[in-house]
Amino acid sequence: MRGLLLAIVLGITLSAYDAIHLKKALEEKECIGCDLRDANLSRRDFSGGDFHGSDLSKADLRGSIFEMGDFNGCSLRGANAEGAVFWKATLERADLRGMHAKGANFKGVHFNGSDLSRADIRDAKVWKADFTDAILRKTDFRNSEIGGSKFIRNDLHTAKMKNTLLWQTRFSDVVMSKTQCAHAKKEEATVDANVTCR
Amino acid sequence: MLRVFFLSCAAVLTLWGGTIQNDEQFKQAVFQMGKENKIVLMMYTTDDCPECAYMKSKVFHDKEVELYMNRHFIVIEKNVHKSKLPDGYDFFGIPTMFFIDKAGNKKETIIGSKRPQPFLGELRRIRGIK
Repeated sequence: MRGLLLAIVLGITLSAYDAIHLKKALEEKECIGCDLRDANLSRRDFSGGDFHGSDLSKADLRGSIFEMGDFNGCSLRGANAEGAVFWKATLERADLRGMHAKGANFKGVHFNGSDLSRADIRDAKVWKADFTDAILRKTDFRNSEIGGSKFIRNDLHTAKMKNTLLWQTRFSDVVMSKTQCAHAKKEEATVDANVTCR
Repeated sequence: MLRVFFLSCAAVLTLWGGTIQNDEQFKQAVFQMGKENKIVLMMYTTDDCPECAYMKSKVFHDKEVELYMNRHFIVIEKNVHKSKLPDGYDFFGIPTMFFIDKAGNKKETIIGSKRPQPFLGELRRIRGIK
């Protein structure tokens, strides 16, 4: 009996998300300003869902569809979004630090003003995304397709860009390493005169 | 009454894409290949699609890819906002590339862009599909 009580108490303590918010998210496919920390939202279709201002840190979003979703002002810190589809979603001013998004689809996504420090965006489709004013400290873009995207006012020199597809990607007012600059030029990216290659 | 009937028929015919065998571009591609046993690569695009532009202007014109494609494939393009799309060829992303044999059988579908070397590998694999 004591064991059961302990298990219940521990269960309540360990589940970080708000159960009512999770129910709302699953049933209505959206939840504004909700507490969804550690929640399991994997392998579901949330197309067009509005999650702005929600806390989805460490949530499981693997394989889910968030097409045209609104994640402005959200925290997805440490969330697992491997293989998720964020096609044309908005993730502006969002905390995306340490997000695991290997193989995800971020085509046409707005990352303006978001923090993607140490985010894992390897092998992802990131065509025509907007990274204006985003923080990209040690962001891992390796093997991703970032063609037609915009990088404006970013410090990219610690980001991992090996083997990224940068065809027609625009870099403006950006700090890059010499290796990144050479790669961008080889990939036929547009590197504005105000880009620092050091 | 008869006029209303004909107008209704015309409206239905305008919306109906028809089979791939009846598609004008496909028929033209098959006619163009004559006795050769090439594969039709039908690519769905939109005007505002950087991936499509990348495939068309870079990948298809890569030396090795171009040589192989000229030998074994005929490309037809359909802008999904402007063209009639054949029945049974739905799409879930742009670009979508359908590989169709001479008889109109769908052999394979590829969604999204690829770099030249992996794309060439896919072309070789698809050509080998019986």
